[in-house]
Parts: sequence; C-alpha cells; structure tokens
Amino acid sequence: MTEPSAQPDHYLVQHVREALAQDPRVGELHVEVTVTADRVFLTGSVPTEERRDVIADVVRELLPRHQVSNHVTVESITGTPDVERLG
Amino acid sequence: MIRIAAVGDLHFGPDLRGAFRPHLASLAEVADVLLLAGDLTRVGDPDEAVVLAEELRDPPVPIVAVLGNHDYHSDREDEVGKVLEESGVRVLEGEGVVLDVGGARLGVAGSKGFGGGFAGACGSDFGEPEMKAFVGHTRDVAAGLERALRALDTDVRIALMHYAPIDQTLQGERAEIFPFLGSYLLGEAVDRAGATLALHGHAHRGIEKGVTPGGVPVRNVAQPVIRRPFNVYCLEDGRAIG
Repeated sequence: MTEPSAQPDHYLVQHVREALAQDPRVGELHVEVTVTADRVFLTGSVPTEERRDVIADVVRELLPRHQVSNHVTVESITGTPDVERLG
Repeated sequence: MIRIAAVGDLHFGPDLRGAFRPHLASLAEVADVLLLAGDLTRVGDPDEAVVLAEELRDPPVPIVAVLGNHDYHSDREDEVGKVLEESGVRVLEGEGVVLDVGGARLGVAGSKGFGGGFAGACGSDFGEPEMKAFVGHTRDVAAGLERALRALDTDVRIALMHYAPIDQTLQGERAEIFPFLGSYLLGEAVDRAGATLALHGHAHRGIEKGVTPGGVPVRNVAQPVIRRPFNVYCLEDGRAIG
C-alpha cells in the first residue's frame, strides 16, 4: 500500500477532509484544508479549543510527515439576538 | 404577534456543556417558542444529545426541533430524538405540532429534508437504484413536510427544516455542493401547502435571508450564519401566504 504522503496533493486534500468528517472525535465538515509537499494548512472556526486541537491531531495521525499549520480559530457565540419583524 | 426564536447547527457535544444554557434565561422575554433547525449534535451520539437536553431542561417557552445530517451520522438518530423528546423538546419528522401562543395558534411542520439540488441543476429520479434512492428520499421527506403543513389549521404556519428549500440562502457556499445542501422539492412543498415562514440550517457559509418562488420568506438560521445564540422573527397572526 502506498504511503498517504506519497500520493498527489490533489487527493490528499480530500483524504484529510474525509478524515475530519468521519473521525468520531471531530465530525467536522467545515474546515478548509490546503496541502503542500510538506505542510497542511487548516482554516475555519470551531466553538471550542478542544475541537480546534483535535482537528490538528487527526491530521497529524493521517499525515505524520507533514507539518500541520492549524489556523482554525475558536469562536464562541455570544450577544443578543437580531429581531426581525416580518409582514 | 407571534415571536419565533430560531437557530440551527448547534453541533452540541460535551465540550459545549454550559454554552447554551445562559441564553435560555432571557428567552421568554423575547420569544414565544424556540425552533431548532437540525444538526443538534456533532456526530449523532446520544451522549451528545444528553448534554444538549440538559442545557434545554425546564425551558421558559416550548422548544420544537428537527434533526440534521450530523444527528444521523452514528445511525442512532432515533435515540438522539428520544433523548430530546424525553427532555421536553418536540422533535418532528414529517409531522406537525400546534402550540397555543398568547391566544394565537402556531403550527410548526418539520422535516430534516434532504439534498438533490435546485431547478435546472439537480439530480433526477433516473438511472441506477442508488440515484433513485437519493432523489426518492428527498421526494419522500418533501411530501411529508407538505402533508404536515397542510394538516395545520392554524393562524401561523412555520416550515422547519435542516436542508435548504431554496438556493438564495446558499450564496457564499460553493455552487458545486448546492445539491448536497438542499432541494427545490422542499421549496415546492412549502409553496404548494403555504406557510408564513420557512426556516432551515445546514449551510454554514450561506446567508440568512431569501424567499421561495411562491413568496414565502426563508431564513437560514445556521448558527455560523446568524452568529447569535438565536435570532427572533416576529409574525403577525394569520399572515399565511398561499
């Protein structure tokens, strides 16, 4: 079997996205993934630090030879609701 | 006037314990009901639903929900729904509920919905059995939503979904994935049966506001879109369209 890191980047991007969707620790479909020869860039936002960190863990497990640049931000939802009158 | 609080895509898990509970305290001051537009959990683990149920316990207003694709991921959607129902959340799939809200009757018809795409760029009930099953599921849930809406003899009727009934509220998402974000069959069901307002989630990069071809206002209440604990929509009694 071919090492994942030996595959063309084109497929690696989708393999990373699938791992983030399917790994029960993550279940995340909304992280953007960019793969270069030796690095994986992750962007997007999640609600907790725990989720941000485990996303990078999953990618490191899948591509141990790549350096993971985790730019996913933690955004907690606060504030008051917008109120809209319809009609 | 009926005040509808709505949000979708809470994606709850143990790490969000305590995150939603504080917002319930002021809910009764601004809304008469809270509607949850699916993706209540992260991966559909009933333990995640337990955490959310604890957040929503003893609500100051009725809570009505539909499930989303994340809630189906562990093939335990029935358990997820049961946990929430036992905590007092009404979970709808192809059915409706009638609530007495300050003397007015509010009807909510709910369905997860499904994908398939939008008129002119959508899957067809044609070819392999897998493709027929895909489109057939959308037809089934859209028909369930339409039946549930038609059965509501109420002053105000809300169509609550997870998947999108129109493509306007998907603007910002990549067009290539529109068929996985919603279906025109849902919008057609809403327009045929008539509704005051249609709510959905699912499209995190979409926009909040749109309207069906038949004139029913649509709001994408996915939390990453509204960036609030929930938004509130105020509706005049009896302003049903259709």
